[in-house]
Amino acid sequence: MRRVLAIARNTFREAVRNKILYSLLFFAVLLILSALALGSLSLHEDVRMTRDVGLFGIDAFGVLIAIFVGVNLLYKELDLKTVYTILPKPLHRWEFVLGKWLGMLMTLAVQLAVMGLVLGLTLVAQDASFDLAMAKALWLLYLNVIVVTSIAVFFSAFSSPFLSGFFALGCFIVGRAVPDLRALGKASGGVARILFEAGCTVVPNLHLFYPSGAIVGAQVASIHRDFVGADYMIWTTLYGLGYSLVVLILAMLIFRKRDFV
Amino acid sequence: MRADALAKTFRLGFFRKRVEAVRDVGFDVNRGEVFGFLGPNGAGKTTTLKMLMGLVFPTRGRAEVFGLPVPSLAAKRRLGYLPETPYFYDYLSPEEFLDLVGALSDVPPVERRKRRDRLISRVGLDHARGRPLRKFSKGMLQRVGIAQALMGEPELVVFDEPMTGLDPVGRKEIRDLILELRAEGRTVFYSTHILTDVELTCDRVAMVFAGTIRSVGPLGELLSARLLSTEVCLRPGAQGLPPLPAGASQHRAVEGVAVNLPEGTDVDAFLSAALAVGAHVLSVSSHKESLEDLFIREAAQA
Repeated sequence: MRRVLAIARNTFREAVRNKILYSLLFFAVLLILSALALGSLSLHEDVRMTRDVGLFGIDAFGVLIAIFVGVNLLYKELDLKTVYTILPKPLHRWEFVLGKWLGMLMTLAVQLAVMGLVLGLTLVAQDASFDLAMAKALWLLYLNVIVVTSIAVFFSAFSSPFLSGFFALGCFIVGRAVPDLRALGKASGGVARILFEAGCTVVPNLHLFYPSGAIVGAQVASIHRDFVGADYMIWTTLYGLGYSLVVLILAMLIFRKRDFV
Repeated sequence: MRADALAKTFRLGFFRKRVEAVRDVGFDVNRGEVFGFLGPNGAGKTTTLKMLMGLVFPTRGRAEVFGLPVPSLAAKRRLGYLPETPYFYDYLSPEEFLDLVGALSDVPPVERRKRRDRLISRVGLDHARGRPLRKFSKGMLQRVGIAQALMGEPELVVFDEPMTGLDPVGRKEIRDLILELRAEGRTVFYSTHILTDVELTCDRVAMVFAGTIRSVGPLGELLSARLLSTEVCLRPGAQGLPPLPAGASQHRAVEGVAVNLPEGTDVDAFLSAALAVGAHVLSVSSHKESLEDLFIREAAQA
């Protein structure tokens, strides 16, 4: 585990020294703060506006960063040939992939924490609070970026960053629309129904991580009123981590067999 | 280290065209020796080394280090590797990079710091120990590469083209280091196409051409003992130079004239004739087969 942590620490250090990530974080913070201006335009709905825009900003920029860093995570090592120095060390290839992935999760955790902190301070400035529902929503968004990162890493184990980014973004868009696609499949019937169902089983159901507005149990989940309960959080966490782990294992298996020419 | 009939065929492009990078490479490297792996560009040296390091999987054959199969953690623990052109994490300083390499080699933290500091001094980078690697010159990066290869205190050190792109001082430093490593009891294996470095450092060599080993052994055994030619440097006397024997040639030297006498020429008779015409004999040197001659001979036959 010490070797995995060494790779993870180095991946985190690389991200911390990457100026592009700071730029993305800066724009994310700007978007969150823009909620203050938008809120002042609304009629007594400034806190609602801050929560909605803030969570949207964290979600959008979190996914953007996850795809941007995720697709480059392994490719960069091959492109810059650093892998020729690292892999001959007493290290399994799966340890290398796992270390890179963990380092990426550490980076994303810090990014989301910073964005969450800015959102929290914005809410406090509006005499509102960063309540349990917001904390739950933030955790779900973190799970969302973990899944997206794992998918990006999986594609980057065998394709270029452009293609990996394209596929990962595609998975994200389709993943968010899984309930709609399922409904569409059911409505279509026949072979289309089977195909939609199969597709929705392979692609992660990312809608689970952004449930505001969806019907959970018997009621509509809302970040402003009744958000999801503990059982939903537990099952969604298990689903997100489980899916990520499966995709990561596939990435490890592909990476294990690769020739580094 | 042993390579046993290693072969690697790549399949490239849309039509999966077969490219045989290595056809048949086999050799044994003995403990404590400096072994040179020679071959022209594109002969398959780097692919062979990558197979030995577990970066490329052989299509056929097998390799082992200290009796342990490659790639295995046990084998990797006992070797250090410097890739052809060293690429490192350029946002790290030498200290940070060696610390990372030490952690990957399972060196405990306290020992890691000691070893790191010792190696930075050994490769002469004390003045730049905290500077990011992106600001390093090629020669400095090569030094970092050597330090990282030694971080796990390996018994076998493998260098891929360690002298390429270095100035004469840098090349000498690497040669000295190779000899130092041998004196410490380590085994050194390195690939190169710079023959003078091999003559100065290697106990044994293997020559690879077009992915196939052509010859393996001690330099003394591989090079022919036969006299190829004799060069006589003369300062012409009052009566000029003696007549040149059949097949001989002459050219102006720094001081006087250099006469090249082919194999089989009666050198004594030529020297007597030179003295008879009043010429001064400045030097006589015999030319036996050099590594370069052998290399070119093998290349022509390959």
